[in-house]
Order: sequence, then structure tokens, then C-alpha cells
Amino acid sequence: MHKILCSISTRGRYDSTLPLALQAIINQTRQVDKLVIFDDNDDPRDVRGELIYSHFFKIMDEKGIPWEWQFAGKKGQHHNHQIANRMGFDWVWRIDDDAIPEPNVLETLCKYISHDVGAIGGSVFTMPCDTKPNNASGKIDLIDQEPNIQWGQIVAPQLVEHLHCTFLYRAGFHDFNTGLSRVAHREETLFTYGLHQKGYKIWAVPNAVTWHMKNPQGGIRSETNQALYEHDERIFRNILAAKDKTIVVLNCGMGDHVVFSHVLPKIKNPWVFTCYPDLVAGESIAKAESLFGSLEQYSVYAWMDKHKWKDSLQSAFERMYL
Amino acid sequence: MIIIAPFAQKLSSGKENPKNYPYWKKLVDLIEQPIVQVGRSGEHQLVHDFKADLSIPDLRQLIRECTTWIGVDSFFQHLAWDEEKPGIVLWSVSDPLIFGHPENVNLLKHRDYLAPNQFLHWDYTKHNPEAFVEPQEVIKHLTKFL
Repeated sequence: MHKILCSISTRGRYDSTLPLALQAIINQTRQVDKLVIFDDNDDPRDVRGELIYSHFFKIMDEKGIPWEWQFAGKKGQHHNHQIANRMGFDWVWRIDDDAIPEPNVLETLCKYISHDVGAIGGSVFTMPCDTKPNNASGKIDLIDQEPNIQWGQIVAPQLVEHLHCTFLYRAGFHDFNTGLSRVAHREETLFTYGLHQKGYKIWAVPNAVTWHMKNPQGGIRSETNQALYEHDERIFRNILAAKDKTIVVLNCGMGDHVVFSHVLPKIKNPWVFTCYPDLVAGESIAKAESLFGSLEQYSVYAWMDKHKWKDSLQSAFERMYL
Repeated sequence: MIIIAPFAQKLSSGKENPKNYPYWKKLVDLIEQPIVQVGRSGEHQLVHDFKADLSIPDLRQLIRECTTWIGVDSFFQHLAWDEEKPGIVLWSVSDPLIFGHPENVNLLKHRDYLAPNQFLHWDYTKHNPEAFVEPQEVIKHLTKFL
């Protein structure tokens, strides 16, 4: 049985939609194995003892759902999701604090879990809305031309290249881009597309409806600084522009560069960023950071740690890039 | 001529790198062939001929000229492997199955000494002289190269 963590990042929604989201999680027909709430409020308030919240947490205790309230670092929800991503669960079901899943959502998403699946999402209807199918392809190349497939009714399971808002994902196999700004614009698109690029299937599936009670006030992305969105959009576009290249970031030691040099000739269309250009030619790490945001996902050491690697360093590079 | 590359990269914490071999002095005294030490300036000098801060091409040239080499788990063992010059690597806490090359003689006293997590910074691992093989053991293997 897969262990599933449910993760919510919240900001400015204590007294509006967050309690509704919690209730919806409690009432899932497939119970979560743990709930973690990341409180990203500017002025956090300890609501755990307040009437409605305390009742919800008592119900969770009664139902055997472990829960954890974390006062988060106010760096944006992508940092919180990355913590959830590494909390040791097999899968993470991420929910927005204004997204209310119907009771069967997690159970339905779980039906698509398989060794080759990276993420699974259902419809996300933003009120008021049109709940008809929108016939979107879910291809990243069409992201500017078509609506997100999750905005419409999904009538049959469909393989896509990215998801947004709320979905179930394979934990620990791809990192959230923590190089994005606090607004974390496009963070879920980048994350699910990253899983797709790693060869995992991304499913948009029917009969898993979440109601998005969008509220102009508050919200995890609440921010008026347009420059932050522009910063994140630039990273997103840079990653998309490099999608046919193999981005290699050698943010590692000199010896690692030497070992990597034996793998480089086998890599298809490499774009190399290096610490030691006299060992492996390439552009600077600073440039990679500026183009792509966080470089954590390119670290061979983080990769080996994640995969509990026992084989050689050279094989690790080969598995990462070939 | 034998090259020795005695020290792994300095740690940011200032602590002794747990990969550094503790018996170099004794080992060097047991070697009868001419020895050239390579490394960074500021490192402890063990022999008369210490070539510090060589460029990569100069280091490669020196590797090509040597009979063999002895080192710890550091950049040097990878560069010598790249030059297809086998040597002896003295291991302790890092795993030769991950970071070593089978073309070399990889002397690890026991796998029980390996750090539980091989992928953290070495600042978190204590230097343990007991984790290394004795100099006599190294000499036994060195004679096979001569």
C-alpha cells in the first residue's frame, strides 16, 4: 500500500476556504496517511485551538490521520512543497487552500498509480465556470494556445505533459524549482513537466473533480510585485526553450568533472554548465542559476542520495543523463 | 618515480578531512623510490620534491612520467584514471565501489568504516585513523607496480 502525504500551503485563508479544504480531506474515501499544513501567513495565528480547527484535528485523531501544522518560512509555496516532497512518503497529494476536492478524488487518482507514473490530476473547476470538456492536449508546446486540460471536464484518461493546482505526485523523484520567487508562478507546471521529462507518465483523469473557490483576497501567491512574476516567467520560458537539449549542470567537484567527461560524448545535444571549464568545457554555474533558477535537481550527489545509489559515480551520471 | 597525492580537499569547517591518510610519514619512509608530492600550497610537505598547484596539463604530464602513484580519495585518483595510469588509493570512509575505479588498487580496511551516507559533505564525518590500512600493507601492493 502506497503511503500518501497530503500537503497544503496556506496564506490569508484562515477564515475562509482553508477549513473547507481540511474538511474535504478528512472526508476522502481513501484516507491520507498524513496531512501537513504549511502556514505561510505574513502574521501567522495559531488556529489549532480555535473552535472549528480544533474539531477538525480531533476528528483526524479519531480517524487515525496524523497531522502536522508547520509555520513555514514565508519563502513561497514551492519551498513548502519541496519539504513535503522529501518527507519520505511514496506519493504526495498537493491541495491548494482554496481547492475543495470531492470525496472520491484521492481514491480515483490512486487508481492510476503505477511504476511509470509521475503525477495524476483531475478537473479543477474555478467558480463560476463552464464544466464542459475543453479538448486541450496538455502538451507543453501548446501552453500559450489552449486552456489547461484541468479547467474543463476530463471525460477519459489522457496523457499530458503538465498539470496545475492540485494533483497526486510521485515523491522524491523531481524537485520543485526553489529558484522561483515567492509567488512561485508556474511552479506546478515546471514540476510536473520535469517529471514528464524524466520519463514518467502524467495523467489527467475523469471523475476526480476539485472545486476551486478562487478568492481575490489572500492566497499563497498573493503579491503585487509584477517583477516577481516576470522573474518566474523568464525561468519558465528558459526551461521550455531548452527542452530539446540535455541540460548538464556540474555543480560538483573536480574529480566528478573528470568522471563526467567519460559520459559527455554519449549525451544527446548537451548544454553544459561547469565549475571547472579546463576539465569540462561549458558555461558558468552562475549563468545556469540565472537561466533556470534552482540547480538542486541537477546535483549528482542529491541524485545519488535520492536513489540510495550503490553503483559507481560514472553510472550515476549515465543514469542521470542518458 | 612515484607520485603521492596525500590530501583530500580542505573542508570548509576547518576540520581534518576524514579521507586523509594518517600514516604518510611512516609510509614515505618505507618507499625506496624517488617520490614527488603533488597538492595545494599550504599542505603539509612530506618529501623534498613537493610540486604545489600544478596546472592540469602539468599534472597530467607528471602522471604520464611516473611509475605509479599513491593517493587518497581525491581529484588526483580520477585524473590518473583518466590518464590510464593505475595506482593505489587509500580509502577510509568513502566507498570505493562508488567513487573508486577498478583499474586501481583500492585499499579499504573494512566496509564497516564507511560513512552511512556517502553523499553528505565530509564535514559531518569524523576523521578516524583506525579506518585506514597500515603502511606495510600499502608497501606490499606497491611492490607489484615496481
